[in-house]
Amino acid sequence: MQLDLFLSNLLNPPVLFFFLGMAAVLCRSDLEIPNAITKALSLYLLFAIGFKGGHALNQSGLSVEVIVTLLTAIVLSAIVPFYAYWLLRRRLGVADAAAIAATYGSISAVTFITASAYLDKVGVDYSGYLVAAMALMESPAIIIGVMLYRRYRDSTGDEGNTSDWGELFRDAFFNGSVFLILGSMVIGALTGDKGMTALKPFTVELFTGVLCLFLLDMGLVAARRLSDLLRGGWFLGGFSILLPLFNALLAVVLAALIGLSEGDALMLMVLAASASYIAVPAAMRLAIPDANPSLYVPMSLAITFPFNITFGIPLYHMLVKTLW
Amino acid sequence: MYSVKRLEIVIDRSYLNRLLKELENCGIEGYTVLDQVRGKGERGLRESDALADIFTNAYILVACSEETAEKAVAAIRPLLKMSGGMCLLSDAQWVRH
Repeated sequence: MQLDLFLSNLLNPPVLFFFLGMAAVLCRSDLEIPNAITKALSLYLLFAIGFKGGHALNQSGLSVEVIVTLLTAIVLSAIVPFYAYWLLRRRLGVADAAAIAATYGSISAVTFITASAYLDKVGVDYSGYLVAAMALMESPAIIIGVMLYRRYRDSTGDEGNTSDWGELFRDAFFNGSVFLILGSMVIGALTGDKGMTALKPFTVELFTGVLCLFLLDMGLVAARRLSDLLRGGWFLGGFSILLPLFNALLAVVLAALIGLSEGDALMLMVLAASASYIAVPAAMRLAIPDANPSLYVPMSLAITFPFNITFGIPLYHMLVKTLW
Repeated sequence: MYSVKRLEIVIDRSYLNRLLKELENCGIEGYTVLDQVRGKGERGLRESDALADIFTNAYILVACSEETAEKAVAAIRPLLKMSGGMCLLSDAQWVRH
């Protein structure tokens, strides 16, 4: 049965399209998805998942359970950067360690979306308000990563050219993806069933197809970026898999403590285990300019993301099934 | 026609807004931006992936007086030092129209 979970996940079309993208690079195919289309696909995914979450929130309403879960999610994403930074400092400088710590404290919306497609396939429900948890987990790590950097960096660093806090908070809390997810969620919550009926053909029926195309492009980019990381050595490669596993364990303990359901616990684990490759790198490039993006982008995009969507999701599910 | 300085800058796209702000602070009122350009240089291949937006460049073209150009070069040098890229300054003829 446990093997079934893995197979069921691997034979999920979005996951297979990711590998098709990777294979295209390895075969030196000229397959390419134009940038503007990838951007549009990613906007669609954020919009659709946000709207779906808002609709679910409209059905369930705000309860103590919802608020406790959201707070747990925020705390989780705020503590990960601290121990990640401490571990990374054994091998890396302050700038790289802080940027990677922020990357791993934050989340990947596409990993969450792939997990939701997986749960749909295996017929397990999860609560829509977790979409809000996802949006809220994106920002705290950015702030903490930059705080760690400013606290511990060499004081001779050039202060004048890094972002000021106002710019940083804007990047962290109002960056395009967070803004769109939260905005669509509010609209989904306000419009309720009527809104859902109107948008269902667009936000629900097309969803898996768009996810497949987007993951195809992620496969292409991940395979291209992988070579950057091979130069980084075994430490960073191992870190990119072991830290997410540890984060998932921490999440499952918290999920058990606050009494989440099977599907919700899995989603919280997936969020904790995922790492950002869009919002955080964009913020880090400005706030921690001396960190090397050829480390923190490929780690999350080319190792953690594929690991999570192939082995991670069914592995976390197996653990939840054993414990619940 | 009259003589102007042509300023051409290639910079990490993440720094574009900050660079434009610096240029405006130096009194430059007009510029042309080619967004999302690809290239290769001291920081490796800049491929312009839509996903990892930080691996892409922007190209900025400015025509201004020599005095303004000198001010602008001094203002943007720290940004270029941080982000990588290049800045070229050359003589040009502005065609009146």
